[in-house]
Formats: sequence, structure tokens, C-alpha cells
Amino acid sequence: MIITGAFVAFSWVGTIFFRPILRAFLRKRADINDLIGYMLSCFGVFYGLLLGLLAVAAYQNFSGVETIVSKEASTLSALARDVSAYPEPDRTNLIWLLRDYTRYVVKYAWPAQQKGIIPQEGNTRMIAFHEQLIRFEPKTPGQEILHAEALRQFNNYLEARRLRLFAVSTSIPGVMWGVVLIGALMNIALIWMFDMKIVNHLFLGGMLSAFMGLMIFLIASLDHPFRGELSISSAPFQDILTHLMEE
Amino acid sequence: MHSRRYQEAIRNTALLWLLAALATSIGCEPLNKASDVLLNREKDQQTIKLGVLHSQTGTMGMNEMSLRHCEILAVEEINASKEFPNVEFVTVVRDGRSRSEIFRRRARELVDREQVDVIFGCWTSLHRKAVIDELDNPTELFRDEHFDGKSSKPRKPLLFYPLQYEGFECNRNVFYFGSTPNQQILPALDWFMSQEGGQRKRIYLIGSDYLFPRTANYIVKKYLENKSIEIVGEDYFPLGHSDFHDVVKKIEKTSPDLILSTINGDSNLEFYKQCHSIGIDPEKSPVLATSVGEGELRRIPPEYAHGHYAAWSYFQSLDTPANQAFVRKFKKAFGLDRVVDDPMEAAYTQVMVWKEAYKIAKSSDPIKIREVLEKGLEFDAPGGRIKVDPKTHHLYKKFRLGRIGLDRQFEIVYESRDLIAPEPFPSFAFPGWECDWTRGGLTKGPPPNIGL
Repeated sequence: MIITGAFVAFSWVGTIFFRPILRAFLRKRADINDLIGYMLSCFGVFYGLLLGLLAVAAYQNFSGVETIVSKEASTLSALARDVSAYPEPDRTNLIWLLRDYTRYVVKYAWPAQQKGIIPQEGNTRMIAFHEQLIRFEPKTPGQEILHAEALRQFNNYLEARRLRLFAVSTSIPGVMWGVVLIGALMNIALIWMFDMKIVNHLFLGGMLSAFMGLMIFLIASLDHPFRGELSISSAPFQDILTHLMEE
Repeated sequence: MHSRRYQEAIRNTALLWLLAALATSIGCEPLNKASDVLLNREKDQQTIKLGVLHSQTGTMGMNEMSLRHCEILAVEEINASKEFPNVEFVTVVRDGRSRSEIFRRRARELVDREQVDVIFGCWTSLHRKAVIDELDNPTELFRDEHFDGKSSKPRKPLLFYPLQYEGFECNRNVFYFGSTPNQQILPALDWFMSQEGGQRKRIYLIGSDYLFPRTANYIVKKYLENKSIEIVGEDYFPLGHSDFHDVVKKIEKTSPDLILSTINGDSNLEFYKQCHSIGIDPEKSPVLATSVGEGELRRIPPEYAHGHYAAWSYFQSLDTPANQAFVRKFKKAFGLDRVVDDPMEAAYTQVMVWKEAYKIAKSSDPIKIREVLEKGLEFDAPGGRIKVDPKTHHLYKKFRLGRIGLDRQFEIVYESRDLIAPEPFPSFAFPGWECDWTRGGLTKGPPPNIGL
């Protein structure tokens, strides 16, 4: 809302303040509206392509990270299931360590990620879990199979976790945002140049700017998958934590 | 024609700018005020870092995890209470990896890089001594690693230590929240020597081979010197030792009427197992443990330990509303199958006591916090009222004796009527030694022969 509102407001302010000056310069030509119309459609194609491709790329990145988080959560869930079949006291130790880690992810790591900070303290908790896991010595063929599976799940989990942490800091490069914003400014400036009644000018200019603002908002929201309103939630981990608390 | 239009445009533009300026000055006033409020709020918001230094990995990892959880629970509770609306307390957790040199390094990191004013941490005396030494005498190598060059004055945070320990320590920047031997072991012995406790006269001392058991047994032997009590045996085993068959046979032969155990860690499982299999009767020769709490009982099958005793200041089974609320909160936060024991309650209490001191001092500055605590701050902990001793920086605490039940909980069989004053240097064991920060600190006597 704020981004869209800012674009519309900028467009309207420009229309009100620059219209008289631009009209004075550009009304020399009778076909000025046609000329600006051609320019705007030509420019709009390039700019639309840029915005469209960026939106698709950001969406793909967002859904990719969402897949990573889902995979991470399901691997963690499988790992919890595996270790809950271990004999005591290893079972309780491993469940408590997993609970400690999952609680950290939900209560501390996720809010940190939402601020763009890569959480660090989960690493030690994972090492503690790994230490406890490799300390277990299977005594039956069944335990051997279970232990091998738990170790495999643990390695899968580490891989998914690493990918999630990488995703915290990935984003569209600043130079690209520069191009997008300069393009938006040029687009709005072209709208200001039209010669028409002020009410029509404000209405049409506002519509175009609002859509541009919406597109840019969409890209910005998808760009940081862990930040803002439209971010990937910690709900899958919360579910696992709830389950682990009852183990 | 064009010139007239141009003049019109200039005039219109000037008029519009004038109107806009007027509108801005009138309309934006409330917005300006609102943003001022927001900005000031932002300025007033303060983050205070609290260092938490325990082993998360290595042999002590599982034990110290519980202490870390209690400290985090206390900090979360303080933040949630909104008692300090403009302050957010943030725990900075570091892993000592069950190694003294790592404890040293992490302590230095907390001080120089994270700029904490207080560290809650440690379990073993070895690690505590390493951290204290690092805070007193910074290692240059670690300083170079972490020092950011921004701090103008060297920082010396306080250390809050939650475990019961052997005493014989006095440091102005350390506050000890666990019991000293005169608050834990000696009252337990008094009870067993009383009529109620069976008037026991033959004691066997068994322990792990490190600082706490050796010093504790040194104090016990000095305490019992003039009490017509016979020490029928004394043995020490390395930490992690698991073959107690021979010593339990020896215990059976000497038929003591009390076995004082300072065995620590997982060795307890094997010790109780052997006692059970050889048929040591808890009625005739009970084991009085000083390092077996609810956390340790989780790993010992209840039939092995049932009927034996442990001496602490706190048990989970303590039936008071404050304790029940504390246990409920902990289980809700960390799992219904979790148990709470004495060191965990002390870990929670130490954070809450620091908070009380912060409230009075209105600052996290270690010197100001220390000044408040040195006035003898009192606090209602889950285990009951406690009081900071201005002289020794230890706590006035109650003593409780518990008998192990089949539900892996303790039945409290005795509780001291009053709070017991801490004595880190009991005069019968350390003549000439005294710790009194109201009168200059440590007075040294002749070095004791503890036998380490």
C-alpha cells in the first residue's frame, strides 16, 4: 500500500507541479500527445519486460526457497521420527537436543532471518545433536539400519539447512533496483508530458503509477523470501516443535 | 502568444508552490510530531546483552543444556513481563565445549566483542576457575582476536555461577548461587547423626577424582574429627568410571551405616546398579549423594536408586505455589517430560536476581549491580526466599534432604527451619582463611592439605 501510494502521490505531485511548465514547452507541437504516446508504448515494452522478468525471477527464487524450507522441515520431522525409536537414554537425549534446536529455529532464528540476519547459534545445537547421534552404538541389526537411516537424514537436513541460510542474504542486486527505479521515474515523467484535462491526467497517470508501484512492491516482497508481510513462515518448524514437545 | 502562455505557466507554478508550502506547514505538523515521537522511542529503546556461557557440546553438553534453558526461560519471562518497556534483554549464548581453554576464549569473546556486563555460566569448578582467571587476567592473544578497539575502558563483567561447589573461593566479581558444603553436605551429615536419621556412626566416602569431591571430603573429615564418627573407607575414581564392582564389595565388607557419595556424572548409574545387585540395603547403608538430582535420576532405573538419599537446597517436588508455577512454566517451554533440579533452579534464580539488581541500580553496569547485591538483596526464588551475603557473595539458602522414590522424584524428609549462612571457608577446615568483602576481601591463612 505504501509503495503503491508513494508512486501515485509522486505521479500526482509531478502532474500538478510540472504540468504547467511542460505544457509551456511542449505545446508548440499539435501532435505532442501522439508523439509521447508512441514513446511511452515503446518505453513501456522494454520496461514491462524488465519488470515481468524480474517478477518471474523473484517468484521462482521465492518458491525455490519455500521448497528448501519444506524439505528442511520434512527432513527434520523424519529425523525426529528416526531418533524417537532409539533405546533409552539416547532417545530422550536426542529428542531433547532436537527440541532445543527446533525451539531456537522458531523463536530466535526466524525473527533474525526476518531482519536479514543469518542466525548463527543453531550451528552449535546441530553439532551437539551430531555428537550425541554418533555416540550411539547399535547393538542389533535393526538398530544398525535405524542408525544408518538417521545419519542419512541428518546429512540431508544439514544440506537443506545450509541452503536456507544462504537464501537469507540472496537478493536482486542493488544496480538492478537502480535501473528499475530510474525506469519508473522516466515512465512517470513521460506521463507528465501529456496534454489533457487535469482530472483525466491525474486519473490516468495515477492508474499507471499505481500498477507500476504494485509490480515493484511484488518484486520487492518476493525478493527477500524471509522478510516482510509476504514471507515464508516458520509454521512447518512450529508443527515439528509441537510434536517434539509431546514426545 | 507563446510568451504570454509562458508567463501564465510561471505564475501558476509559483502560485501552486506557494499553496503547497502553506499546506505542508499546516498539514504536516501532526505528522512531524508523530515522527518525532517514533524517533524518540527508537532512541529510548535499549538492548542489553546477557552472556550465557555453558558447554553445549562435549561431555558436559547435556547437563549444561538444562542450565542454559533455565537462564533463557528467565530472560524470556523478563522480556514478556514488559517490566522494562524500553529495554530488550538479549542472551548471547556461547559454547564452552566442555574444555577450559574454550571457556576462557569464549569468556573473552563475550567481554570484548559482545560487550556483556554479566556472564551466567559454567558447571564444573575447572571451567569456573578458567573463566574467573580470564576475567581477572585477560589472555593477550584472545584480546587481540576480539578487541574491536572501540571500548575506551577495560570491561570486567560479573560472573553468576549456579552450581553447588566445594567453596574455598572468594572473588569480588563472582556471585555464587549454589550451596557451599556447610549448606549441603554438613547439615545432611548432622541429620544422619541425629536420632531421626538413625544415629549413624560409620561413614564410607566415595567420589569422583577431581576438585569438588576431594575438597568436600577434606571438609567432611575435618568436620567429623571430634564427633566420634568413624570413616571406614575413602575411594576416588576418574570421571566416567564404570566398574564399581570391587569397591562395592569393599563397602559391603566394611558395613558402613552411611555411604557419602560425591560421584559425578554418568558413573552414578553403574554405582547404583552395583549397589543394587550386591544388595546394599538403603535402610542399613543408605547412599547420601551430593551430585544426584532429578536430572541424573532420569538415567538411573528407579529400582536401583530407590530409598537412597540426596542433599540439595531445592527439589522439584517442593510443594509451594511458586515452585509449581516455575515447574509448569519450564515444562511448557521445554517439554512435558523435562524435570527441574537444584542447579537449574539456581540458574533461573540468578538471572532473576540480576534483574532485581538492575531494577534498583537502573543500570547494567557491573559495579552498580554489585553494589546493589552487596546490600544483601533478598528474593523469592521458586525454592523459597534467598538472600545475597554481602560478605562472601554467596547465598543464604535452605537445606533440604530428599529420599529417592520410584517415580524418580524426591520425597523431602528434612528441611532446615531457617536460611543457612554460606561459609566458603569453614574455620575448622581452613583456619585463618576468611572472605569478607565488607572488610577488604580475602584474608589468607596457612594453605590446607586437601590432597589433590
